[in-house]
Amino acid sequence: MFTRGTLIYIGQRLVLIVLAVLGVSSLVFLGIHRLPGDALFSEHLHGDQYQQTLHHYGLDRPLWVQYVNFLAGMIHGDLGESLVNRGVPITPIVLREMSVSAEIGLVALIFTVGIGMTFGVVAAIRQNTWMDYVLSTTSVIGYSMPNFVIATFLILVFGIWLDNFTQGTFYFQIGWPGRYGSIGAIWLPAFALGFPYASIVARLTRASMLEVIRQDYIRTARAKGLREAVIMVRHGLRNALIPVITILGPLVIGIITGGVVIENIFGIPGLGKEFANSILNRDYNIVIGVFTGYAALVGLANLGVDLLYVVIDPRIRY
Amino acid sequence: MTPSTRADAAKRLPAPILQVKDLQTQFLTHDGIVKAVDGVTFDLYPGESLGIVGESGSGKSMTALSLLRLVPDPGKIVGGKVLFRDQDLMQISDEEIRDIRGRDIAMIFQDPQSSLNPVLQTGFQIAEAMLAHKKATKQQARQRTVELLKRVRIPAAESRVKDYPHQLSGGMRQRAMIAMGLANAPSILIADEPTTALDVTVQAQILELLADLNQELGTAIMMITHNMGVVAGLCTRVLVMYAGQIVEQGPVDQIFENPQHPYTWSLLKSIPRVDALRHERLRSIEGLAPDLLRPPKGCRFHPRCPFRVEKCLTDLPPLTEVKPDQLAACWVTMDRAKKEMGADQLLDIRPGAASGLEPGKIIP
Amino acid sequence: MAATAAAVVTRPIAPEQASLWSDAWRRLRRNRLALAGVIYLTLVVIVALVSAVWTPYSTFQVGVGIPYAAPNAHHLLGVDGLGRDTLSRLMAGAQISLIVGIGTQILVLAVGVPIGLAAGYFRGAFDQVVTFLINLFYGIPDLLVALILVFLLGPSLTNIIIAIAVTRWMDMARLVRGQTLSLREREFIEAARAAGAKPAKILFGHILPNALGPIIVQATFGVPAAILFEAFLSFLGLGVPPPTPTWGGMAAEGIVTIRISPAMVIAPSIALSLTLMAFNFLGDGLRDALDPRGRR
Repeated sequence: MFTRGTLIYIGQRLVLIVLAVLGVSSLVFLGIHRLPGDALFSEHLHGDQYQQTLHHYGLDRPLWVQYVNFLAGMIHGDLGESLVNRGVPITPIVLREMSVSAEIGLVALIFTVGIGMTFGVVAAIRQNTWMDYVLSTTSVIGYSMPNFVIATFLILVFGIWLDNFTQGTFYFQIGWPGRYGSIGAIWLPAFALGFPYASIVARLTRASMLEVIRQDYIRTARAKGLREAVIMVRHGLRNALIPVITILGPLVIGIITGGVVIENIFGIPGLGKEFANSILNRDYNIVIGVFTGYAALVGLANLGVDLLYVVIDPRIRY
Repeated sequence: MTPSTRADAAKRLPAPILQVKDLQTQFLTHDGIVKAVDGVTFDLYPGESLGIVGESGSGKSMTALSLLRLVPDPGKIVGGKVLFRDQDLMQISDEEIRDIRGRDIAMIFQDPQSSLNPVLQTGFQIAEAMLAHKKATKQQARQRTVELLKRVRIPAAESRVKDYPHQLSGGMRQRAMIAMGLANAPSILIADEPTTALDVTVQAQILELLADLNQELGTAIMMITHNMGVVAGLCTRVLVMYAGQIVEQGPVDQIFENPQHPYTWSLLKSIPRVDALRHERLRSIEGLAPDLLRPPKGCRFHPRCPFRVEKCLTDLPPLTEVKPDQLAACWVTMDRAKKEMGADQLLDIRPGAASGLEPGKIIP
Repeated sequence: MAATAAAVVTRPIAPEQASLWSDAWRRLRRNRLALAGVIYLTLVVIVALVSAVWTPYSTFQVGVGIPYAAPNAHHLLGVDGLGRDTLSRLMAGAQISLIVGIGTQILVLAVGVPIGLAAGYFRGAFDQVVTFLINLFYGIPDLLVALILVFLLGPSLTNIIIAIAVTRWMDMARLVRGQTLSLREREFIEAARAAGAKPAKILFGHILPNALGPIIVQATFGVPAAILFEAFLSFLGLGVPPPTPTWGGMAAEGIVTIRISPAMVIAPSIALSLTLMAFNFLGDGLRDALDPRGRR
């Protein structure tokens, strides 16, 4: 499946991702350092102490020196120190948060594709029945609901009403136990994150499945005497997947960015929560670091999507 | 095979393996009902190879698809019987017909490019046919797939098993399709225009292959084609279809030599022949294929028929025996047309030209 | 097969513009969901206009009710944490949503349409640059870019509209470019060119009117996308600064106290969802109505 050509392709893509990450973080770095006022404005420092702090972060040097230092640090994987919590290095924080965001994003993606495709296939097979209409209408409602609205209702239902209803025996506990969380803590935010996109996937799957079941090879499969379920899944679905993968790229980006909101609602210690916090705290170094982390995450996710093509469609080779 | 053995084969016919009686398939469209198959009746004998010939839209493919109940939406089989091993394929359950598809009656299609699934390995698609009917274990199926590919003369069969359809040439794809059809050693193989999408040289190879398999395996072949040449090369008997109905049927030699329906006659006239006399012109059939939404009254061929008489415009001729083993649905028949209207010397083939009934005019 | 050939219904090939529009309007009216969308949106517009001159209570004044009070006869949707009337703030919030949604689309149209027209018509190097930029913008996470832009520019209504438009201009540019590419090969454009019409006349006089249908559909779908974006920004605390009421901001305040006062978060959530849904239904209806193939 993965030929030598594919491996070379992956290598090239990784180089491009590194370049893109450098580019993005440079843009943010320069953008932020053009802002009026300085990063330590909120600290109310005076005199020597202020100069000392500026010097500690290298902020007293000319911008181009700062930029060169920044780039040098980036290449060594060093994103510098937090401006708010002095002495705290950013790289380990960003790496840990990246893993949390990737985890929640991956579960959301599985939800999205799983639910979306199931509904889409059912709507296609039962075309123009009440089921099709219900599913099609639900999907419009689905992608019209912002993920934080879905999250709100999920928290209301599973966090509060279920708690009241079962006298506290069953309820959803908001939080994030340990470094990697737990299934109990992940499923609800992942669902909220994925649901709007599941609607889009469902619509697309329905359309592409309707296209596929008219194809000649489906007739061939029937003529072979295969079971209808086998025909739909093995022969139909795999072909119907191909157009769905084409929107997987934007979809993954949507899930990653949607995480910014969902992580804040569910108190998940990922990049998104850090991003919002650091922007509100004006901790510029972390803002740059988090943005760098996002750029890397998006690049890797897009690479993953492109490799999925190879797995699904044998006609595509890199 | 030589003409004499072929004629013998046509004569010594055992009990039919498949009996089609008054089959009717219709399409419900916005504009009305299209009678794609309109009362088709014929028998298929074990081990024979039967050609079904007609223009596109004559209902030959729909007849074939109807036999296995594979008619696409919005088509419906509205009447008739298809008897196979004492059961009516039109009446048995979905599960039972599914069991017969691919196991007892297999079907291969016109365009191997679109009829093979692009995302599955070719070998798997062949093995799948065996696994679907529990004819073999996975390992046996894999082994037999290679044998089948060798049998249909795909070079380097062992390594081709894992190829995807797009990695094969058009001819090889059609060979793979045939291998798929033969996977369960069916008693009937329906081939729907299997050579149409291929180069002429490859066409000949595929026909040769089908003829050999027909001989060696004793599989009855039902060959759907618009090409009389294909029928001549492969079949012992032929059905000619026009506008959803059979207009002539009989042994291939007899019909090629002495067609009795003007439509068959025109079809044969339109084949280029090496041995044709200089002055004989290659002819196409005048007029357009009939509109099945509003088929003409009387004989459906009359708007295009040079030999039409008054009766053709009003009464539908039944399929009757005109010679031993040969049936035709025509009020005139070519014997009479040749005797009375000089059909052999005919140069003007406009409708009604030979009979003098409103020559050149399309009478709906 | 005969059946499919017979099923093809012949249609007039080039319907006149006027009948095309009235045809579309008739088809749109028959679409119940789209019609419901139009009615709801009319209501929202009326509420937004009314709220500019009258709301049940002042939008900003704190302490008009008991903080976190549940919905009651005096405060139909309850009272927020600072004692402000939720219904009044919800009504005023419609203004921000509509201004952002429509303002962004005006900006997107102003930028995307000329760029798309020029790229599709003149082709060449300019088109390559535009195509590259379009692909680039599709590859980057739009919400993050909008966030950082608002952060750099400072949160204000104008800056938010600019930031959202920056991340969404390429939807329109891509559509218009594609339409132009196919329209420029048509006979009536050739004829206009042969008659010596200037490019500007051809682009705005001939190509643009013929691409108007898809543009309207795209703009209709663009409005809810922009409203959603604004809600995200407000929800994260980077929207229009308080105390101006926005639906996203109200939801963000409400979710913290969801246990005490669910109405505070439910009200803006439902208002927002219904508005987005109405726009999407309208967009779907417009697409079906304006699609000349009349696909169903």
